[in-house]
Amino acid sequence: MEQKLNELKENLKAELKIATKEADLLNIKSTYIGKKSEISLLLSNLKDMSIEDKKIYGSLINNTKKEMESIINNRLEELENKSNITFDDTIDYPINTGSLHPITIIAKEITDILKRMGFTVVTGPEMESEYYNFEALNVPKDHPARDMQDTYFLDNGMLLRTQTSDNQIHAMENYGAPLRICAPGRVFRNEDLDANHENTFFQIEGMVIDKGVSIENLLYVMQNLLREIFQENVLVRLRPGFFPFTEPSYEMDMSCLICGGKGCPTCKNSGWIEMVGSGMIHPNVLKAGGINPDEYTGFAFGFGLTRLAMMKYKINDIRVLNSGDIRYLKEFNIN
Amino acid sequence: MLISCNKLKTHIKNPEDIDWLNIWQTFTLRTAEVENVTKKGTNFDNVVVAQIKECEPHPNSDHMHTLKVDCGERELINVVCGAPNVRVGLKTAYIKVGGHIDNMEIKAKPLRGILSNGMCCSGKELGISDNHDGIIELPDDYKIGEDIKKYLPIEDIIVEIDNKSLTNRPDLWGHYGIAREICAITSHELLPLELLEINNNLTDLDIKINDDNLCYRYTGLKIDNITNNNTPLDMQIFLYYVGMRSISLLVDLTNYLMMELGQPMHAFDARVVKNIEVGLANENDTFETLDGVERKLTKDTLMIKNGNEYFGIAGIMGGLDSEILNDTTSVFIESACFNAANIRKSAINLGLRTEASARYEKSLDPNMTDVAIKRLAYLLKQENKEMHIASNLTDIYKNPLKESQVNLDKKTLELYMGQELDDNLVKNILESLGFTILIKPDSYDVTIPTFRATKDIKIKEDIIEEIARIYGLENFVPKPLKLDLTIVEHETVYNQEYEVKRLLATKFNMHEVNSYIWYNTDLLKELNITKKNVSLLGKETNNILRDDLSLSLMSIVKENFKNYSQFTLFEIGTVIKNNENKRILSIILTDNEKNIEKIYLEAKSIIKYIFKMLKNKNVNFTDNINEYSYYDVNLGKIINIDNTKIGTLNVLAKNYTNKISKKKAIVCIDIDFDKYVTLTKKNLIAKEVSKYPEVELDYTIILENKKYTDLEKVLNTFQSKLIRNYVLKEVYENKYMIRYVLGNEYKTLEQKDLQTFKDRFIKHIKDNGLNIIE
Repeated sequence: MEQKLNELKENLKAELKIATKEADLLNIKSTYIGKKSEISLLLSNLKDMSIEDKKIYGSLINNTKKEMESIINNRLEELENKSNITFDDTIDYPINTGSLHPITIIAKEITDILKRMGFTVVTGPEMESEYYNFEALNVPKDHPARDMQDTYFLDNGMLLRTQTSDNQIHAMENYGAPLRICAPGRVFRNEDLDANHENTFFQIEGMVIDKGVSIENLLYVMQNLLREIFQENVLVRLRPGFFPFTEPSYEMDMSCLICGGKGCPTCKNSGWIEMVGSGMIHPNVLKAGGINPDEYTGFAFGFGLTRLAMMKYKINDIRVLNSGDIRYLKEFNIN
Repeated sequence: MLISCNKLKTHIKNPEDIDWLNIWQTFTLRTAEVENVTKKGTNFDNVVVAQIKECEPHPNSDHMHTLKVDCGERELINVVCGAPNVRVGLKTAYIKVGGHIDNMEIKAKPLRGILSNGMCCSGKELGISDNHDGIIELPDDYKIGEDIKKYLPIEDIIVEIDNKSLTNRPDLWGHYGIAREICAITSHELLPLELLEINNNLTDLDIKINDDNLCYRYTGLKIDNITNNNTPLDMQIFLYYVGMRSISLLVDLTNYLMMELGQPMHAFDARVVKNIEVGLANENDTFETLDGVERKLTKDTLMIKNGNEYFGIAGIMGGLDSEILNDTTSVFIESACFNAANIRKSAINLGLRTEASARYEKSLDPNMTDVAIKRLAYLLKQENKEMHIASNLTDIYKNPLKESQVNLDKKTLELYMGQELDDNLVKNILESLGFTILIKPDSYDVTIPTFRATKDIKIKEDIIEEIARIYGLENFVPKPLKLDLTIVEHETVYNQEYEVKRLLATKFNMHEVNSYIWYNTDLLKELNITKKNVSLLGKETNNILRDDLSLSLMSIVKENFKNYSQFTLFEIGTVIKNNENKRILSIILTDNEKNIEKIYLEAKSIIKYIFKMLKNKNVNFTDNINEYSYYDVNLGKIINIDNTKIGTLNVLAKNYTNKISKKKAIVCIDIDFDKYVTLTKKNLIAKEVSKYPEVELDYTIILENKKYTDLEKVLNTFQSKLIRNYVLKEVYENKYMIRYVLGNEYKTLEQKDLQTFKDRFIKHIKDNGLNIIE
């Protein structure tokens, strides 16, 4: 009997060794310990045995059966846990991605930086009145900027704004002083298109009004803004400029990133790139916004988002930006 | 504008202290942008004064000559020359063998068989004029053999200043003004101009100004007995270097004065001048300008008239009649000041922008006209000792511009500068720029010179700018804004736009585009769509502003169909509707025609997704009453939130789609973004989850000639407390699979509960005349 049981055990082990599928294992299980298995038969034959034999063989058979069951279950578990990778894990499909417009990406980046300096983001209308685009900004009636050559006038007496500076007046009217706003937006100039000129492009305007705001504050904000944008130690210099809505007015140059300020074709060998128009807000503009220039001073700045995007993303032809050509635009994944 | 450093030096005391090559970097920081600094006269060497001693025709040429020239060496040198003006005795510029011109070495070489040792040069070859008609003719008193650069100001530094950065500085449109700036920057002394004082003891000229708002001042002077009308070589070189052509002394002097003082002038042949009248032209009259072009005038064109005939267009260009001729010996000199805006408008209307009009546009100082005439007379006298003044310096100047004063308080100055400045520093800076200043305990009384007062300087902030720039902007220390933690009002528009854009690009793989605010009128024509909306003035095409963003995007859609058979794009942009700005979000889904159902349903999901995710609101769609005929009549939907319209879903009608691209489907979503921004996000509230398991039951219902919306109505009228929700799971042909989720708050559902539900539901469906697969 003992030999018989050992034999069964060994046979089982041998069969389990070859079996690799769950179904085979289950078959083996039923063959060896199922109702009709040899061991079950042995167990059922126990009743015909003598009490003594029952004692000896009963536990022996039962133990063997339990042992066999656990061997099978272990093997089953082993098989279940075994990872059996059978697919081609080297298949590699291209992904589908959408894109944001380069201007959206750069505007987000810049407004995020300005927000860290306490600026809020506002927006203004593209179809604008002459008052907000010119008059309130201290652009006199006979100023060249008001020419048809530069401005798209509309048949309803309005115009397409030529600059985001209209937001200065809107913001002052809406919120009063003190004020810290920036306003990205689309502007329009009556220009012929070529690789460097568009009639529709983007600017961002910034304005700070408070008691005691100085030229030095303007310099700080601009320098840090440009540094954050380019993530480099950009040098910034101010030079005299002329804008009707600021006094004093400054052009802000940034050290050329291509040549590091040594001079190259991009910066026309000057080492500097003109980036930002800025200045202390003209008292007339403050007045137009309902703010007392004797109490408050402020500065404003504006620069071309389109130009910045072109520089940053190395876009050679400005016309790409308004073309809607997915072949170009699809490259601009979300930063 | 081009500036000659040689010329600047003549106006400055001790100019040799200044580094003329490098001062311009500082000038850019202090005054105006310098675009270019070029060294002149470095293109040649070994050019000396030589005299032609013998001159014979070249035997093998019909125009060349063989010359023997004396260039100060022991022997005469044989030179072959093709210039027509060769003659014995002529002193000219000769480049020796071994000398260089434009990087080329001059070698002795035969010309048509005769050896030429060196070359006689034209002004053009030397780069000092554009005259190539003959070799340069030098004055007799030049010493043979001397380097030509010793006599002539050929070596110079020419500086190009960006005109745009001089827009507000009429005083810098001449060398004298630039010299003043250089003096202020380098602490040098500006020399006064040498003038010819006119004794007004003769008679006045007949000059009349009709409108002194258009012509502020007109100064005239008649000078007789001008016998020498040859421009000295140094002046010719100067004019050439700064971009003018030398013509004759009288004409050159007017240009010279324009370049020196910025004052445009005119020299008329006095023989034709009867009486001068400054007044407006008649509408549609014509006038032939000096350049031989007939110009059409308007009633706003300011004219100089002579004896009732048009004589010149004021401030822009003269006419042919008044031209200085070879035999002119008597001139009438005009020096006037006109209204800047009028000149600019006329110049634009005429399409004629001249050096003169460019200056008048900047608002010149009217107090400069008489100075310019006296200066011109002085210079003319240098070349014509025998000339005589034939009239009074006649000056029509009704409202003389007087110097004005501005008070600058020291507190404001300190506030802007961020630091206190020494009184003497302020005084020195302002005085060097031509201001006068009175120092008071708390402020400065600053008198503005008229050459700065016409446009640039009016208020104290303008004075601060002057002080700040000469003080040196690089001396400012950047200072952060002081922290102010007052909570500020904010607009969410920008953030909300970004949020939606990002969602569309990342979740739905769409591409964001920007398109023009006006319709592509060619495309409208092609589609045979007529749009009436606010339009651009003065433009014939692409002039109608868009009122439907989706339609305006069709030109972009059309282009992209050239490269893609299927794509999805969006824009958040402005349209003009009912005369107002509106922000619209448009999403365009495209695919092959057979996939229309797919993209249409996708569009619905996108809309639902946007509002669910970003506003926590549910959308419902109702049938559209088509606003625009180019959209499909049957498929248009209105998008509603809280039962108010927020947008539309449309399919471009097939006949229009075919014109964009054949066999395509174009689905357009337009959402009123102004409204979207004002929608508040529905509060998020946590929901209890049932403790007992929920059960899903699927039913397939067959719809004959009915739509899902009909089924929904039937489903919505079926009431049971067990229903947690139901969803449309799948549609196959006319079979709609609905999945119900059932549950009970208080117990686990039993088989009999489900059976009851099932029986009631099937009955409900059948009662409503629908078939259900059991």
